[in-house]
Amino acid sequence: MIIDVHAHWGPWFFTMDVAAASLATMDRYGIDRAIVSATEAVIYDAPAGNRALAEVLAGQDRLYGYVTINPRRLPEAAADLRELLPSGRWIGVKIHTDYTGSPVTSPQLRDALELAAEAGLPALVHTWGASVLGLAQLCLDTPGLRVIAGHMGADGYAHAIEAANACDRLYLEPCWSHAPAGRIAAVVAAVDDRQLLFGTDATLIDPSSAYGAVAAAGLTAETAERIAWRNAAELFSI
Amino acid sequence: MAFDAWSLIGGLEVALDVDVLVGAYPDRDGPPGTPESVADLLAAHRTRTGAVASLRAALFDMRSGNDEVLALADMRSDNDEVLALAGSAEASRRASSGRPQAGPGWVPVGAVDLRDPIGAGRELDQLAGAGVRAVRLFPDEQGVEAGFPSVRHVARRAAELGLVVLTGGDVRRFWQPFTGLGARVVFLDTHFYHLGDFLVAAAEEPGFHTSTRLLNSPDALETVAAELGAERLLHGSRAPHYEPIVPLLRLATSGLTPDQIAAVAGGNARRLLS
Repeated sequence: MIIDVHAHWGPWFFTMDVAAASLATMDRYGIDRAIVSATEAVIYDAPAGNRALAEVLAGQDRLYGYVTINPRRLPEAAADLRELLPSGRWIGVKIHTDYTGSPVTSPQLRDALELAAEAGLPALVHTWGASVLGLAQLCLDTPGLRVIAGHMGADGYAHAIEAANACDRLYLEPCWSHAPAGRIAAVVAAVDDRQLLFGTDATLIDPSSAYGAVAAAGLTAETAERIAWRNAAELFSI
Repeated sequence: MAFDAWSLIGGLEVALDVDVLVGAYPDRDGPPGTPESVADLLAAHRTRTGAVASLRAALFDMRSGNDEVLALADMRSDNDEVLALAGSAEASRRASSGRPQAGPGWVPVGAVDLRDPIGAGRELDQLAGAGVRAVRLFPDEQGVEAGFPSVRHVARRAAELGLVVLTGGDVRRFWQPFTGLGARVVFLDTHFYHLGDFLVAAAEEPGFHTSTRLLNSPDALETVAAELGAERLLHGSRAPHYEPIVPLLRLATSGLTPDQIAAVAGGNARRLLS
């Protein structure tokens, strides 16, 4: 069993044609379930993208949805949560700090994470470099918030270690198109494995990048199982 | 157990990895890159031959670093034999026959320092005279931009000498100094974000190739094969500083045909470097 906690559905603006490739991409790596956000929602129009994804989620049982929130449009976000959550197919909140111009230091991101905490949903937040440390502070400041540091800081994974150790409600997922040697092993050695999840960034990034990097880390069977699905199943109650 | 990458990779072997380094980066934690450890890493990833360049040459001293990889190649059987065998049926027969293997073979790749274009020109002459067939450029590590005169100078001289250039750097910028020269170039850092730029540049330059290392979107390898032909793709891992299993896994699970996969895994590189 593998649960991908960082995946997408929809087209990208790069030279690629993967809008309909979600399930086939999962199949190539034995990924059973994925929690996806709509690319349109992440990149441009959150309510429109969320509604387009709602139709996809209704038609199958392997994909769960993130309600994507633009922190600059919180009334829209609150409306989306009220409307979409009752279907039971939406189990988290997605926030991309760059596309929405909402860095971890911004007041609107703080407000958006409070909204996620009030809804009782884990929030997947894009992190890069040292920004993951700011996310840890937000997590500490927001009662009840459970937050996933998307990309676990990418090249800032040393900061991600510090962040995860500062807040036990902060989880790390590893996806990145680069796979520098030893990155996953370093994190696994320094962080409680109950805070580690598996994410791929598919269909932007092929799962081979995260899957191969995790495979190279030489995990114990118990830790591999935690990362592959057990922690995600507990976090998202699936 | 979860994340059993080798079950997905199956029987795929790499005949020639075009992106291998010896040496360490002093500005980061990471593997020491001793030749022995790199050889072990390649062998563990079913890689028979590595096109290897020296970080010592790239970061400090061209001559002694290049001597290091030339000496490595001498440690193995004759280098021409290594290249000829890479990806061949004979290599597979030897591997399956139980014949003792001395470890991965090395194809020496010279490195020049773009911060010293005059010295780089002299080193290119030396390398070509020694029978080296490829030279590697490290513009990011050396703080050199694509528009610097040094890059065009080295590109022109390498083309005149018939050397294949393996270059790092952003392909959207580093394509330009190699145009119009009939150059044979492998872009080692082509990221799938920039695939479109590579495709349009390479359409006009038949000598332009790309490493697979960062073409890790769900359809980048397949797109290159469809737009340009799979012969433009060369397997590259950047072992030991990147996880070599990632591009290996991506290639194994790709939508390329078995013949195309074999070509990417070494046949194309052998053709280019012979």
